[in-house]
Amino acid sequence: MKTALLPDGLIRTLTGQALAFLVALSLGAVIILLIDENPVTVFTTLMRGAFGDAEKIAGTLLQTTPILICGIAACIGLRGGMFNVGIEGQLFLGGFAAAWVGFAFALPPVLHVLVAIACAVLAGAAWVAIPAFFRVRYGTNEVVSTILANYIATLLTSYFTIFLFKRPGGWSETPPILPSAYLPELFSFSRLNIGLLIGLFLAIATAAFFRWASTGYAVTMVGSAPKFAEYGGINVRKVGFGVLLASGAVGGLAGGIETLGVHHRFMEGFAPGFGFDGLIAALLANGSPIGTIITALFFGALRAGSLLLEVDTTASREIITVIQALIILAVSADLMMRRRGDRTGERRWKF
Amino acid sequence: MEVLSTIFNVALIVATIRTTAPILLVALGGSFTTKAGIFNIGLEGQMLIAAFFAVLGSIWTGSSLGGLVIGVAAALVFALVFAVLVISFRANEVVVGLALNILAGGMTVSLMKAIFGTRGSIVGRGIVGLPKVHIPGARDLLGPYAQLISGYTPLIYVAFIAVPLLVLIYGRTRLGLYIRVVGEKPEAAEALGISIVKVRYIAALLCGLLAGLAGAHMSLGYITMFTENMSSGRGFMAVAILIFSGGDPWRVLAGCLLFGFADSLSLRLQTFGFPSYLVLAVPYAVALTALFALSWKARPKFIRETIETMQRALSIHPAKSETPDAPSNRS
Repeated sequence: MKTALLPDGLIRTLTGQALAFLVALSLGAVIILLIDENPVTVFTTLMRGAFGDAEKIAGTLLQTTPILICGIAACIGLRGGMFNVGIEGQLFLGGFAAAWVGFAFALPPVLHVLVAIACAVLAGAAWVAIPAFFRVRYGTNEVVSTILANYIATLLTSYFTIFLFKRPGGWSETPPILPSAYLPELFSFSRLNIGLLIGLFLAIATAAFFRWASTGYAVTMVGSAPKFAEYGGINVRKVGFGVLLASGAVGGLAGGIETLGVHHRFMEGFAPGFGFDGLIAALLANGSPIGTIITALFFGALRAGSLLLEVDTTASREIITVIQALIILAVSADLMMRRRGDRTGERRWKF
Repeated sequence: MEVLSTIFNVALIVATIRTTAPILLVALGGSFTTKAGIFNIGLEGQMLIAAFFAVLGSIWTGSSLGGLVIGVAAALVFALVFAVLVISFRANEVVVGLALNILAGGMTVSLMKAIFGTRGSIVGRGIVGLPKVHIPGARDLLGPYAQLISGYTPLIYVAFIAVPLLVLIYGRTRLGLYIRVVGEKPEAAEALGISIVKVRYIAALLCGLLAGLAGAHMSLGYITMFTENMSSGRGFMAVAILIFSGGDPWRVLAGCLLFGFADSLSLRLQTFGFPSYLVLAVPYAVALTALFALSWKARPKFIRETIETMQRALSIHPAKSETPDAPSNRS
């Protein structure tokens, strides 16, 4: 990853990214025209919905939090050469586990939060453990196994919620968690909570880990040059397993923070697409946790803006999914990369 | 009582054939890309976009054939984008595939809102479903068993006929040979003067064609409607099948029958009062278990090969298995 950190490489990556961005936005404008909307109106509405006033900015940050944490989960995986597409599932199970601890047990305030978060982390890690085991032991493709696991996780949590722990008289949701398990909120006017700070801290810690820790270097090597890592005496399997487990754990954490901080209960479909958004954010940031902060903020703004978009225009909020996908496609095409050779050794996911 | 159980069994087999067909079509499509050495995770999106445009086309043209053509065309456009990015621009196939899946999901919902002004699903509104083919004389010959071979939509026959057809294509035609060479040994293909890019484009487009048919069958076959994300992971199941079948048509058929059976069984179990959420998870669990079980079964071969090459190569095995999704295996 050294070259990517050098100014020269960074500038080229950034210009490439910016160009791809423009291409994607113009394609997005075409699609918006196709659905009979004015692209300028759509984009300004998105921006107004995302940054219009303090409350809206807080809303953006609220949406950013799970995307950021899921993005870090994806970064960890990508660095170790693993595509953890199952973050969505880990998020759901983590969210449910945290909610369960939140409503089923009565514990002292701070301890309650810590236990709930720990359970979320464990649930996320446990959910990825089986695909991870088969991945490192027998080479089972982790992309497909984690995607399929997502569907099972979503249905499983729905089953728990509706058949086992349904709030009497409620609509497909668990009983609310006890106030002792609430994450502290940052402002009085928003549900924005310390989850955002946890996410930011985690991003910096992950970046530092990959930058300075020798284990971090080992993970990066396993991801980019597994044979080299093997010759260097690294247990590639063990590291790969650990990477997926850590990635799943962070995915579970994202779910836990979402239920403890925002919804205060587990609801069916409580966090649609956050896992995928996180993965996209991480890909867009080329696997850099610090870069993921920026991309997650961007996607969070899109999501927050899309709420206003749905109110003010006839466009559906899914149009932002289209824009996100177009950006990823444009970036993946690597439009600036005329000289491919100099980076092939560094690029693990050809991005 | 015996008669009752017979009918029950026949009905289950018929249901299995019905649910197998779309996944079989999409998996056979994926077989082309798998054989050509492309890991195509975008099948899901191609199916979904085809399902949507098939409904749209059938409303526009007022005929199911029109819907079919427009649906397949939409899938082909997605397949072409995939091919351009992955083959020409050499983007990562997983990234592009996932992005196209997300794009298909977002686009169908956005267009549905823009065109029909609704969310969720499109029902009625003049959607013309595919006709059912009644084989003449089947009822006289087979009696109650006639429904085993007659009364399906045309695409179901297409799906099952495509299996031996693909075997023939791979085994007997130049194109099939080229596809296999390009997938197994691109260097050899290059040495022979075969255009790798061209063959891979053809494979990707053939894949789009079959995925489009699968998608059209989903929305115009037995259910004539479109719902948000109606492909619900069938494309991913197809990818799972492709991974453990290696794209071999007969094995693909076996895998698809397994999922078709799991799917129809889960629908049946639902009527017996099992919690629907758990029952709905059965096909995914079957896919996942099969994926794990078969990769575990493939282990002895792996180990044999590695022992042959090197004594201590055992520990290198995970590094070697890295290649299917790592970019480095494609020159």
